[in-house]
Amino acid sequence: MKGYRRYFLNKLLWLLVTALFAFILNFTLPRLMPGDPVAAIVARLAQGMSNSTGMKAVYEQYAEQFGTNKPMITQFVLYVSNVFQGNFGASFSQFPRPVIDILKSSVLWTVSLQFPAIIVGWIIGNILGVLAAYIRKGFDKIVMPVSLFISNLPAFGMAVILLVIFAVDLKWFPTSGGYGFDLIPDFSWRFIWSVIVHYQLPFWSIVLIAIGGQAIGMRSMSIYELNADYVKYARFLGIKDYKIVGYVFRNAMLPQITGLALAIGTMVGGALVAEIIFSYPGLGTTLLSAIQGQDYPLISAVTLIITVMVLLANFAIEIIYGLIDPRIKAAQTD
Amino acid sequence: MKRLMFVLTIIVVFTLALSACATATEAPAATEAPAATEAPVATEAPAASGEAAAEVVAGDTVLPREETLYFNGQQWSAVVCWNPYSSNCNNAMAIAQQDNARTIMFETPYMYNMMDGKVYPLLADGPYAWDEGMTKITFKLNAAAKWSDGSAVTADDVAYTWASHVKYNTGTGAANILYVADIVAVDPQTVEVQAVLGDDGKSINPLLVQAYLSSNYVMQKAWTEALEARAAGDAAAFMADVAEDVVYSGPYGKFFSDDTKVVYIRNDAYWGQDASMWGKLPAPKYLAHIIYKDNAAGTTALAAGEVDVSQQFNSNVQDLWLEQGLPISTYLPEAPYGIGASLPTAFFNTASLGLDNVAVRKAIAMAVDYDTIIANAMTNQSATFTQVPRSLMNPTPGEQAAYDKAAVADLQWAGNDIDGAIALLDEAGVVDTDGDGFRDIDGKKLSYVATCPNGWSDWQAAIEVVAAAGAKIGIEITTQYPEWGVYQTVVTNSPLPAEGYDIFMMWSDGAGPTQPWGRIRKLLSGEFAGTTNNWNGNWSGFDNADANALIDAIPTMTDAAEIKAAYTELVKIYLTEVPSFTLMYRPQAFHTVNESVWTNFPHEGDGTDPAVPPLNLTDGYSVAGLYNLTLVK
Repeated sequence: MKGYRRYFLNKLLWLLVTALFAFILNFTLPRLMPGDPVAAIVARLAQGMSNSTGMKAVYEQYAEQFGTNKPMITQFVLYVSNVFQGNFGASFSQFPRPVIDILKSSVLWTVSLQFPAIIVGWIIGNILGVLAAYIRKGFDKIVMPVSLFISNLPAFGMAVILLVIFAVDLKWFPTSGGYGFDLIPDFSWRFIWSVIVHYQLPFWSIVLIAIGGQAIGMRSMSIYELNADYVKYARFLGIKDYKIVGYVFRNAMLPQITGLALAIGTMVGGALVAEIIFSYPGLGTTLLSAIQGQDYPLISAVTLIITVMVLLANFAIEIIYGLIDPRIKAAQTD
Repeated sequence: MKRLMFVLTIIVVFTLALSACATATEAPAATEAPAATEAPVATEAPAASGEAAAEVVAGDTVLPREETLYFNGQQWSAVVCWNPYSSNCNNAMAIAQQDNARTIMFETPYMYNMMDGKVYPLLADGPYAWDEGMTKITFKLNAAAKWSDGSAVTADDVAYTWASHVKYNTGTGAANILYVADIVAVDPQTVEVQAVLGDDGKSINPLLVQAYLSSNYVMQKAWTEALEARAAGDAAAFMADVAEDVVYSGPYGKFFSDDTKVVYIRNDAYWGQDASMWGKLPAPKYLAHIIYKDNAAGTTALAAGEVDVSQQFNSNVQDLWLEQGLPISTYLPEAPYGIGASLPTAFFNTASLGLDNVAVRKAIAMAVDYDTIIANAMTNQSATFTQVPRSLMNPTPGEQAAYDKAAVADLQWAGNDIDGAIALLDEAGVVDTDGDGFRDIDGKKLSYVATCPNGWSDWQAAIEVVAAAGAKIGIEITTQYPEWGVYQTVVTNSPLPAEGYDIFMMWSDGAGPTQPWGRIRKLLSGEFAGTTNNWNGNWSGFDNADANALIDAIPTMTDAAEIKAAYTELVKIYLTEVPSFTLMYRPQAFHTVNESVWTNFPHEGDGTDPAVPPLNLTDGYSVAGLYNLTLVK
């Protein structure tokens, strides 16, 4: 247990060091982009304003308000003190809306779409992968090319195909939105059903892409495992097939779990393609427009959340690996 | 390993449960914006029907299709504020103080009608009048005009609105302070707008003073005072206030908004139903704008009948009725489908090698194939330069009549004139001296970068055609597309960089009460040359004494012939010097309607008098269209 504690503390230390650097980069990188966010805001009110002195005054007013005219180090100190009070400031691009308010209204949509999609895609993909590896023959001949085909479809292509077939042509599902265009949210069945129906196409557009990639990865890992000595030995012993598949599945999925953790860590970044094609609410398009509009507070907040989630997911995986696979712990603590 | 399987099983069960009933996690959306929290709308609603409205608001979680008019193309992100004093409020449907001001919630004294170039009273009663010395404008307010809290709109409100703009240096204040000296209440119904006077004792710019009346909202004095108290005198807080409690005079107020839509509800006690104004309420009870993420999503919704009025660029819009047989139409049944009003323009960086030579500038402009731009970039939703020859005017009949066409006919080019461009360059001695296929000046190859913001697809298509023209006349033109955040910072600050921005696109003014003078000023006036934070125009830095003098003089001219001669001279200067060149005509607003639920939208020859402009029933006089709508069945 002493060895494990050392392993744990070592990982924790690295987590904190990485988090510190990530925090500094989250602040610095957006501000290194060329361009001027205040000019973008002034641009929006430029129409109809015909004296340049007035325009300059308004520009300076916003520069002062957002602090973009202050030295970078002053801005950083201000940012750090605000973040530790849970205050990410006001968004530039959606001024005067607070960043925290934008996150609150978007993040639930994003997580509700992404988390189930990632998990379902991961599970179905892995099951198909291991079956393809084990059964081979006809099953593999179908699953493998289909998986290859689907996983190589660009995400927007899949989303558009689903949109055209199931929404535009067949009219089984709505074309856009998170709920009915004619509804106001409440706790009625009508609203809940509308949310479920609107959820389907964005959800499956992510899942179908994820399945292909997962199935290919799992199939390769499983084929490797199937040729391992323990599988041959198990067969000689006459152990039933489903039991052998179970063993293979467990051993082959270790790398897949790492991929899963990273996917969950980055999910807050949003399902950009699904959000755009289906006009689905979420953080993906918010982050994209924040980057395009150089909305420093919003970019920093979202990337900070992503950073923290990725770091925590990685940390959790490392800790779990240390527990379940003594070889890793031993190698790390040597 | 068993432990891991157990953990995974738990995750699987949890996940499937979550995906099967996603609403469990979505449900908070309801708490974000329950109708109940929107109840303040009810209190904003008129005193006379306040309680009734509260019941309606609380009970309405479905917007009846036959009571709701749906829009797209105006609101592209969640509404964040309701404060017209803010310079940066993104509430596009409700707040747009511009030449054709948006008046569904807040109202201006007058409404501009781009169809006849006149203004019509909204909060005002009758026309405004200049005094004989051209020092001030006087107008009366409509005695019937009321705020949403039931109190009367008075001259004090108008005066206090202006005073607040000045006190807090709002965008409106900063934009007008050089032309409007003060606005005072003569009596509760009479307003006097005092102009800043020139050396001759007359208004230095009567056009901009009178434009104030149709461009800027009147806000309630009592509410403004409450806002000031909340902001404790701090200008930034005053403008950053989200103003959920704002009092308004227009026919619609806030009903609901979240990340997916914004909905406005009709104030059934709206003063405009008085016989002195519209005589009735607007037909739709709700105006709703769904927030689509891009044009494609908006077009799909329009085709599906989920949008009634579309203010966005719908590529190949005619296919919607010709190919798909949908009940969708535009203002004009044939190309260009709408009325061109603004002139997207390519500007030259005259500091670049060779672009200080008018022959090079004109040759490039002559060689561009504008018909291809209009066919590809605008899918024919623009008049061609054969139909409407280039000048400084937009294609509206009023502006086309503002200059002498015959006098400039030999200067106008329709484009794709490769031979003419080559002859012009040869004549100017700009030839290929080293045999590399490109012309040189001082031994250096003429090589330019043409640019516009990345993702502005119609502009990008146009810039590609400009680049192609260069190759045909021996000038190398490549393209690049920086992000808008970078692009706008560069082009609005003089001097322009030595590389990367040789030919670049920006906009020009559309239709409005100061046009065509306002557009010409922003395309040619030397006052913008060499400035920073220049969001007005003349990004080439053109500075011509004759043009400057004419631009200064026109606002104070009164003789129609003199004005026409001045405009003609300005067109001559523009087409001779070519500091920039128009690439296409663009409508003031795209206006496509789906008549599956509502009908009687503005169309050419619809019999309205004055004609209702195709501005989506929200901008300027087009708000009149809301009162003409009827249900299809």
